[in-house]
Amino acid sequence: MIDLIASSAALMNASATGVEALSEMMLPQLAHDIMAYVAYGLYVLLILGGGLWAVLARNLVRAMFGLVVTFMGVAAMYLLMASPFMAFMQLLIYIGAISVLIFFAIMLIKNTSSGEEVNFPGPLQALTALISAAAPLVLFGPIIVMNAGKLAQTETPVETPLAELGQGLIEYYVVPFEMISVVLLVAMAGGVLLAWDKRFKK
Amino acid sequence: MSALTLYMLAALLLLAIGLVGLISRRTLVGMLISVEMLLNGAGLSVVAAAKLTPASDAIGQLATIFIMGLAAAEATLVLAMMVVVYRRFDTVTTSALTTLKDAKL
Repeated sequence: MIDLIASSAALMNASATGVEALSEMMLPQLAHDIMAYVAYGLYVLLILGGGLWAVLARNLVRAMFGLVVTFMGVAAMYLLMASPFMAFMQLLIYIGAISVLIFFAIMLIKNTSSGEEVNFPGPLQALTALISAAAPLVLFGPIIVMNAGKLAQTETPVETPLAELGQGLIEYYVVPFEMISVVLLVAMAGGVLLAWDKRFKK
Repeated sequence: MSALTLYMLAALLLLAIGLVGLISRRTLVGMLISVEMLLNGAGLSVVAAAKLTPASDAIGQLATIFIMGLAAAEATLVLAMMVVVYRRFDTVTTSALTTLKDAKL
């Protein structure tokens, strides 16, 4: 907000001194800032609404759609942070793969509309849930608000070239990159082994 | 407020909502949905810390890619576990999974 006010003050100064070129340069910056704040507010609403829907919906399929809305809000935040590759990966992995997996889980376990989630949780459980949500908000919220602004910051992030990401994958992160392929292979093999139906063994 | 503060608060919001779901859901499917939300909040905060500070952009974004890969592996395994639990108990309600307790069978 402060830099918004500062840029509008700079805009007034520029037009007052009659520097036409400078005011034409400042106007897109101001519009850019306002657009960024409006978009941020919209995406927070998307995350909050989708998240509450995912947590409170009594039908698990609807909860999953709320989760998809939340994922889309986070993907939009990645776009706002000038990292379109992350937004694409978010759509591809979370919405394309994990949501489908959760949908499989809901369908394989037949408790969509008549299961145990239909009733709201009891008062004790609801109280515990609220306390567990308030704890990080109370603990980390003031820390973030007080300290995050003090760090040296780049106010307008620039897009990272994709080649740099690939370079990091084969140089800095080469061991985790190889390990995660092993983890995915083991997870897949373990999933098949766990869910293997004994009938097919004979 | 700076941009970094705003993104960190969004990640904190995801953490809080995910914790509410994790505690208040009664079935393993609902808990899986909440855990995905927690992991997503972690990824958002890592990318924000990488993009909006002088730290290396690529390293932070790749860390979030790894979080996404681990989330996919975790979802696969949890799906298989839920299938096993459902076959054995005919339900995935967490309060029913008490074989160590003196259960009334």
